[in-house]
Amino acid sequence: MRWIFPIFALALLVVPRASYSQEEIADTKRTVVPDERPIVELPITKDDRDHWSFRPIVRPPLPEVHSHQPTHSAIDHFILSRLERKQLTFAAEPDRTTLLRRVTFDLTGLPPTLAERAEFLAEQAPDAYERLVDRLLASPAHGEHAGQAWLDLARFAETDGFEHDHVRPNAWKYRDWVIATLNRDLPYDRFLQLQLAGDELLPGDEQAKIATGFCLAGPDMPDVNDQLERRHNLLNEMAGTVGAVVLGLQVGCAQCHDHKYDPISQADFFRLRACFEPAITLKKDKSVEWMQEAGKVEPARLWIRGDHRRPGAELFPGMPRVANLQDESFVSVLSSTAKTHKQPAKSTFYRAGAAMWFTRPDNPLTSRVLVNRFWQQHFGRGLSATPSDFGTLGDSPSHPELIDYLSTEFSARDWSMKDLRRQLVTSAVYRQRSRRAAETDADWESRLQLDPQNVLFSRYPRRRLNGEAIRDSLLSAAGLLDRTAGGPGVLPPLPPELTSTLLKNQWNTSKREADHYRRSVYIFARRNLRYPLFEAFDRPDANASCPSRIRSTTAPQALLMLNSAQVLQFAQHVAGRVDPRASEQLVLHALGRAASKTELQTLETFLAEQSAAITAAERAENTLALPIPHHKNQDHARSAALVQAALALLNSSEMIYLD
Amino acid sequence: MAAPFPLANSNRRQFLASAGGGFGMLALNSLLSESRASEAATSQQPHFTPRVKRVIWLFMHGGPSHVDLFEHKPELIKLGGQPIPDSFGEVMTRRKVAQNPLLAPIKPLRQHGECGHYASDLLPETAQLADELCMLHSVCGDSVNHPQSVYQMNTGSILMGRPSVGSWVAYGLGSETRDLPAFVVLPDPGGGVKGGPPAWGSGFLPATYQGITMRPGDSPLLNLRPPREITDLQQRGTLDLVQQFNRAHLTARDGDDELAARIRAYELAFRMQSTAPELVNLNEETEETQRLYGLDESHTKSFGQRCLLARRMIERGVRFVQVYSGDTNGWDAHSDVLQNHTQHCRATDKPVAGLLRDLKRRGLWDETLVIWGGEFGRMPMSEQGKGRDHNPWGYTVWLAGGGVKAGLRYGATDAVGLRAEEKPLPIRDLHATILHLLGLKFDELTYYHNGLEERLTGPAEANVVHEVLA
Repeated sequence: MRWIFPIFALALLVVPRASYSQEEIADTKRTVVPDERPIVELPITKDDRDHWSFRPIVRPPLPEVHSHQPTHSAIDHFILSRLERKQLTFAAEPDRTTLLRRVTFDLTGLPPTLAERAEFLAEQAPDAYERLVDRLLASPAHGEHAGQAWLDLARFAETDGFEHDHVRPNAWKYRDWVIATLNRDLPYDRFLQLQLAGDELLPGDEQAKIATGFCLAGPDMPDVNDQLERRHNLLNEMAGTVGAVVLGLQVGCAQCHDHKYDPISQADFFRLRACFEPAITLKKDKSVEWMQEAGKVEPARLWIRGDHRRPGAELFPGMPRVANLQDESFVSVLSSTAKTHKQPAKSTFYRAGAAMWFTRPDNPLTSRVLVNRFWQQHFGRGLSATPSDFGTLGDSPSHPELIDYLSTEFSARDWSMKDLRRQLVTSAVYRQRSRRAAETDADWESRLQLDPQNVLFSRYPRRRLNGEAIRDSLLSAAGLLDRTAGGPGVLPPLPPELTSTLLKNQWNTSKREADHYRRSVYIFARRNLRYPLFEAFDRPDANASCPSRIRSTTAPQALLMLNSAQVLQFAQHVAGRVDPRASEQLVLHALGRAASKTELQTLETFLAEQSAAITAAERAENTLALPIPHHKNQDHARSAALVQAALALLNSSEMIYLD
Repeated sequence: MAAPFPLANSNRRQFLASAGGGFGMLALNSLLSESRASEAATSQQPHFTPRVKRVIWLFMHGGPSHVDLFEHKPELIKLGGQPIPDSFGEVMTRRKVAQNPLLAPIKPLRQHGECGHYASDLLPETAQLADELCMLHSVCGDSVNHPQSVYQMNTGSILMGRPSVGSWVAYGLGSETRDLPAFVVLPDPGGGVKGGPPAWGSGFLPATYQGITMRPGDSPLLNLRPPREITDLQQRGTLDLVQQFNRAHLTARDGDDELAARIRAYELAFRMQSTAPELVNLNEETEETQRLYGLDESHTKSFGQRCLLARRMIERGVRFVQVYSGDTNGWDAHSDVLQNHTQHCRATDKPVAGLLRDLKRRGLWDETLVIWGGEFGRMPMSEQGKGRDHNPWGYTVWLAGGGVKAGLRYGATDAVGLRAEEKPLPIRDLHATILHLLGLKFDELTYYHNGLEERLTGPAEANVVHEVLA
């Protein structure tokens, strides 16, 4: 694929400011005399603002649709009208078990329980699905699941990283704040405001202070000699993350120099960074937890070539010009912020001003970025496929009017995130089948032919669960999942081969055994060592904000699922839950559905063959992996074979893919 | 083995499918045809004819002292015990050593071979191969701290979380074999590196390109063998059941690429269970070979095993093997260089020389690049009397094997070994040169991430050091 990028590479030509490399090498000493030459930057043109994501958001009219297919929401009109242009309509709904599993995983990260399944299958009311959605959104599990996606964006981990990778003993409080806040559906504008400036907007409020952990959740090296360098790196990382997460702009790209193709200048970057500077006071060897201003403000500067040893001219905080459609000065932003919120004495209110500016209804980016993120979370791919890059290098959206429609709805409905999710998952788009109904299915063939990449959403995009949900579903199948919520991260046991790559005492296994079975979101997030199952299944490394996870399929995943002592133990528990004579219960517990006749036959043949082999080998009972619990009066060969069958089901693709 | 090569990567495909409109579609077609081709082999074409096919990187963790091991500095001998002359200016150090007296080399350095490379008496075996080595005496980095420098040497950036050189190479060239990963790391069993596993991570590249750690012995790879209670027969039976379910699942889903890849991944995992133990079985080697690497002596056995393993890996098609010497402290000789380096030189000298000789006699030399070096060198000033602090400002890395000029000395540090003075060689240039030797253009091996076409050498200008190329 690298062959195809020279065009991009050409576009990356930069505006040179100075020849750098030789200078940098010779200069191991600090230059402290700032280069006060005035900052030169290209003005923002009309053309720059004509990019789709910078245009003012206008609510588009509902497109007309012609087919008589039932639509559930306005969203459906936008998708259907495009499908109709290709003579397509929505695919039919899948069976109820599939739909239940899909939406339950999607909103809670957990499989439906057997009781929930029975209840939903028995439900006759026409609005059964809508009520199911409401129930799932109200479940505490919703925040635990939706929280992880936000924590990915926040590059959240509970340690500093680098050599010592010290524990940040209070970091979990931010994780819990995110989960709780999503569960009570705090409006998104407020959700953002508190994470950027909770200390300024609600001084003295403990939870608001904790929310600012967002800004500081990234890697840091407290023991670095040069604390100015540390501060510089920290602030760059923070400003870059805020720009990417909130505005969907890769402002961090501009920290070294201007890019010709990009209307974000280096000065734009450092003006945004300037909002955060007064809140950062560092102490050597000390992790920094929350944002707090100390009353001492040094003028912010541009840093030439992004080098902390080369101060440039002073600059005042400001918002990226291209998205500042009214060209409002930051002074004016600050004064209007001070009208709605009381400014604390020891605070510049810069971050509060920035937060209020980000969440103005006429900000062209903030709501567009969020609705696209949610679309991505529920449909596997965003309407724009680059959810943290709405700039000129980002992906043009497949349905720009739908993004605008959702954005206007979102801010009109008080930025309710649950409401937005409800709209998405109750739509007809969401409730389509993901696979053909029968071997010959002409309707399905035309979908594959006319929309091969599913860009038009002519079917539900099947996708793999993330590592956290895979582990949670294994625990659920095993009946082991401990639903205790919140508190410091827990540490399930790790194989010694892994702990030996760490410094001593970096992974002290939690003493309470039930803690080993807590939901994945509560597993201690060490920056230098991801939990193996999560790492194998593409959890990001928390060193940079991650807007969408990579999805790889590798042999080490297979080895882990097939050979690890942990997954075998889960299989023993699954087998322990079923009557050894009733193998269909294995399918029910592992996959949450009834087994087909063929499957039952396959399973029975397997159990017969395997137990015969075990018997023939005269294996002593204590050398076998038996169900937990195992009843002494049961045939141990068949019981051991049952564990193998359970292990096979836990390894099945169906277990970790959502249809 | 761990075969972390891409069996499927829908994200990359998804991205390409939509990136930049028509341009993206073009890319998609080429990628799909490429992935069809890769059914047969995962190897990808380099940009131009490579000089070498594989790399073995001997990473001396902690920072070996260039002024004690490879750089002869008469001035340092002369000025030993005195403060560094003012003419050298201020220098940034990790610990407060700038005003400390200079420390003369702890052991004599002598010239060796026809080329006249200097080497310490601590490295008698390596010294015998002086004419095979290409000395880079002016490598320089940007940080006086271990983790930042470990990251920079491995990933090009002092910040954590960027893809390592090995993962870029895996991404660029793939694996030469379907049964082995492209990038393997052999850590020192004594303890982890400062900076931890991100040193061989894949950063924003797909996880499939990250370094897979392996060890000599019965359990070379995590989860390679089923738990004790499951016999091979049981495992094959279980796997067959998995595949039976998964094939039915796949058939009902239009032969979905990702699901098909998953079936292949399970077969591969199963094959690895026999190929990996075979790979790490050093008993297959003759006694003479084992002795060559020092497996018969307790002080050289551990590093010798890893060097021999490295050779067995590249023979079998692994692209990039990194062998670490030094536990968490390793070569970090703050208090006593003589004691520290005597120990580490003794543990590594014979295995390193054994590896070089073995590569030669097996005809692997011309296709293999060997890199020796740490994350930085050490200061000419003393610390606590007999030790030395970190020095990223100028130090030695040597190259050997195919594609590089044997016997060459490139660049130099100043009179006492404080800073790179002649032809400074920033790490990004070292990286650009490594990629070049493998047939990859550093400015074309890119990956789109968070708005940038990222590359190993970063945004700053980088240069291939053509002078060292044979």
